[in-house]
This record gives sequence, C-alpha cells and structure tokens, in this order.
Amino acid sequence: MLKILNNSVAFAVGVIVVGFVVFAYSASVNKVTDFVIFCIYVLGFDVLYGHMGRISFGHTLYLGAGAYGAAMCAKYLVPDPFLAMAMGIAAGAFLGLIIGPIAVKTKGAAFALINVAFNQIGYFIVLVALARYTGGEDGVSLTFNSYGFVNFGNIHFLFAFCLTCLVAVYYMMHRLYGSAFGIMLLGIKENETRVRFLGYNTSAYKWVAFIISTSVSAFAGSLFVINYGFANPGFMDPARNVEVIFAALIGGPGTELGAVVGGTAYMVISNYLAKYIARWEMFLGAALLIIAFGFRKGIMGYVRELVEKRIKANAMAAEK
Amino acid sequence: MFEVIAYGLTIGGILYIVSIGFSLTFGSMRIVNFAHGLVYAVGAYALFALLPVAKGNFVIAAILAILASLPVSYVIEKFVIRRLYGKSIDYAIIASYAVLLIGVDLIKWIWGASPVPISDPVGTSVSFFALEIPLYRLIIIGLSFLIFISLSIFFKKSIIGKIVVAGLADREAVLSLGIDIDKYFAIVFILGSALASLGGILYGPISTIHPYMGFRIVTLCFAVVIVGGMGNLRGTAIASYTLGMVMAVTAWYWGAAADAMIFVVMAVVLIFRPIEL
Repeated sequence: MLKILNNSVAFAVGVIVVGFVVFAYSASVNKVTDFVIFCIYVLGFDVLYGHMGRISFGHTLYLGAGAYGAAMCAKYLVPDPFLAMAMGIAAGAFLGLIIGPIAVKTKGAAFALINVAFNQIGYFIVLVALARYTGGEDGVSLTFNSYGFVNFGNIHFLFAFCLTCLVAVYYMMHRLYGSAFGIMLLGIKENETRVRFLGYNTSAYKWVAFIISTSVSAFAGSLFVINYGFANPGFMDPARNVEVIFAALIGGPGTELGAVVGGTAYMVISNYLAKYIARWEMFLGAALLIIAFGFRKGIMGYVRELVEKRIKANAMAAEK
Repeated sequence: MFEVIAYGLTIGGILYIVSIGFSLTFGSMRIVNFAHGLVYAVGAYALFALLPVAKGNFVIAAILAILASLPVSYVIEKFVIRRLYGKSIDYAIIASYAVLLIGVDLIKWIWGASPVPISDPVGTSVSFFALEIPLYRLIIIGLSFLIFISLSIFFKKSIIGKIVVAGLADREAVLSLGIDIDKYFAIVFILGSALASLGGILYGPISTIHPYMGFRIVTLCFAVVIVGGMGNLRGTAIASYTLGMVMAVTAWYWGAAADAMIFVVMAVVLIFRPIEL
C-alpha cells in the first residue's frame, strides 16, 4: 500500500484532481483556477531547477512570453483560444531556442542572472518598445471565441480545462523524468564533466531541457491570459521572480508532486494570508532564508522521506 | 556629444566603484552576492538620513553613511554567505537574494516606497565649449579614476592585494603556502562593500534614490562582470566605462532603452565568449 503511495502516478494524479476539485468548490473556482495554472508554471520552472540544477531568476520572461504570445494572437489575428495557446507556447519555445544556447553555457550564479538580464530586456520590450501593440503599462484586454460548450468564459469549463492541462503536463513531466533523457539531466545536475566524459553532448541536452521549461512556463502564461482576459507587463515583471522560486523551493524541488504542492502552498499564502502579513517581501525573504538554512527538501521531500522510512520499517518487520 | 561622454564617464565611474566588490566575490566564490545591491541602497539611504545630522555637509555625511553600511555587509558575509558557501552555492545565492528582499522591504518600511531626491552637493557647473557640465559629475569621474589607480597599486604592490590576486588565479596553490586566503578575501569583501556604499552615495544626487535601486545595480554589475571577466580587475574597469558610455549614448537617443541596451551588449559578448562560467 505504501509503495503505491510512493510511486504511483495514478495515485498522485488522483490526489491532485480530487484535491483541486474539492478545494475549488469549497473555496472559489476562480481563485483555484489560478492556483492550477500557477502549478503548471512551477512544473515548468522545476525542469531546470529540480532536475538540471540550474536556478533561473528570470523565469517570468517565459511566463510573460506565453501571455503576450497568446494576447497578441487574440488581439491581432483571431481570438481563438486554442490558437492563442499554441502561439503562447510557440513564443516560449522560440525564446528558449534563441536564449538557450547562451544561457546553458553557464551555471550557478551566472545562469541565474543571465535570465534576469533577458527578463529585463523582455520587460522593456513589452512595456516601452512595443507599447503601441502591447498597450504599455495598461496592457490589452481580450475576449475569446467560444464554440458550444467549449466556452472559456464559463469558469467551470475553464477550471476543468486547466485541471486537465495540469494533469497532462504532470504526466508528461513524469514520463520525461523517468526516461533516459531525465536521467541524463540528473547526471548533468550531479556532475556535468563526467557526463561529458562519457561522450554525451551535454549542451544539446541542456538546450532541449531549457526549451521544455520555457515552453511549459509559456503555456501557463497563455492560460493565465485566457483566465484573466487581459495581458499586462506584470506577467513579465522581473521583480516577481521570487514567487516561482519560493513555490519550487517550498514544495520540494525535483519532484513533480512537490511542484504542485509548492505552487498551491504559495498561492494559498499569497491569496489568503497576504492580507494578514503586513510586510509581504520581508515575509518571503525570511521564508527563503529559513528554506536555505534548514528546509531544503521542501514539503514533499519530507513527506517522501517519511513514507520511505515507513516502507523500510515495514520491510524489516516482514523479514522478522 | 561632449555632454554624452561626460555622462557616460560618470555612470561608468559609479558602475566601476560598485562592480569591483561584486566582481571580487564572483571571481573568488562564484556566487552572486545580491546583498551587494542592498549595501549600495543602504549607502544612499544612510546618506539621506545622515545629511541633516551632518548639517548638510556632504563629505561628513558620506563618510558616516559608509561607516553605517559596513556592519550590514559584515553581518551578511559572516552569517549568511560564509555559512552557506561551503554547503551549496545555489542556497548561498538564494539566501543572499532573500537578504536583499528583506532589506528592500525594510527600506520601504522606514523611508517609504516612493523615490527620494537628494540635491546636488556642489551645485556649480563648469562650462566647456558652451556646454554646462555639473562640477559634481566631474568630481565623480575624477574620484573613480583615483579609486582605479589606487586599487591598481593596492593589488600590485601591497601584500594583501597580491595574495588576493593569487587566490583568484589559483586558490589551492595559495592555501598550500599556508596562507589563510579566506581572511584576505574577507578584507577585500569589506573593502568592496564600502565601495558599493560609496557608489550608492555618489549616485544619489545624480538621480533619485528608491528602494529597488539595489536590484537594478546587481544586474548591471553582473553585466559588467560578464563583459569584463570575473575577478578580472582591469577588465572590470574597462567594461564599466564602456558600458557607461553605452548607457549614455543609448539614453541620448532613447532614454528608456538604456538599461536594456546594456544587457544586449552583455548577450552579444556571451555569444562570442568561449569560456563556460
């Protein structure tokens, strides 16, 4: 029984779906839709951090790219939600494609800040350079087509759709990390020199992982736009990077469920507790300090440790 | 055009003064010290708070502000960066980022979120070919050159400087000579922080000071370090003045694009730079 709890993706998906549905219909469907989308974003971020050991301090660039890709498509091409999503993902993948080769040359601190630098450029582009099209600081408001029951204006449909997307991305990540590619990423995280020594072209693998991460984050961005019905530079604000870093760290980096738990935890704190916390940034900073000093495995890391301990204890008891 | 060059040298000079400490920590420990930006902001705000205390005397207020910001950097180095450095570089970066967040919020708490102006302490301008350039900016340019020259002498002639330069090149070799390299790095860390604080103080009267100025300077310093090379002291100087000029020229044509242009230059340098960071 415990083994199933530990390893089964079906069980995890069940927990996610039941958890979010119960949460949504006991609290607020609108808000929980937000939480679900944010979890997709954290999953995208964690490809780089949890699995490749590269922490990006500029990931809102890719979220914002998805948001603006979707918004520009809806505003200037056709307001079709699915095309908008595709355009959002394409925008994120394109950024990953061109920024990837530069960014993955680096690691540690340099990787973190290179993403910030590109984030600053992107923020400038949407806020000032292309303000004629993006609406500058005010952003653009949008409406999307609906086809019969496929109506993104209906919050229940939207919620179900986003939850399906989360499950799909979750499953995709699960398969990815179980594959040879995922193990390669872990190898790069542990010791890149040795992986290269084995004859693998690590740069190519890192580049692909980077593109996956940016595309998934951009997908989350396009879903946000469909959910809110507007896009503004806030989606790309470099000052908001702390959100996703905090979420990934508190949930437990390197586990898919950890990303979902962390994303939900962050959104719950920021939506329900923020009004009781007078100094928001100070709270986030203090929490990050605590995580850095003594809570490194995150919530899921500790849960997993606990479950594994129980499995071991049971196995020992069975041997006797 | 002359005005643009003077502005570029001013910005470049301030960038140099702030970047030198950042470059040294980056070169020696491979971590981005976000808290460096906090010291820069604290210097500027300490100046703002101490100006009335010093009865408007800028030099005295500046010296007091530097002294006031030194404990900040010492505490950050001793209790956050040092303690995490040996264990995980990632967590050291995250922790220094957390310190910056806390510091920025403290500044907002004490002085408010809106920008604060500091008036030009000199006030007079110098005329060059029918162009007026504030004397204060010329002083900054002179000061930055002075700091550049004295740091060059410091790293070439003094024993502390020599040990640090050697440690940047090959840490283990210096350790094997029985030299406690960390002690010397700590000394230059404090020196670098004092310079960061001075940079904040000098920048205040040129523009306005605001709580998020620390975030901005960290990314700019990073661009300087990427262009100039980590722990490369002469490269840092050249990169600072070059990027200062880039900023000034961009700002001449399109003010809002100045910061973004720096990062474009940085990206171009990264594309053509073969080394891995």
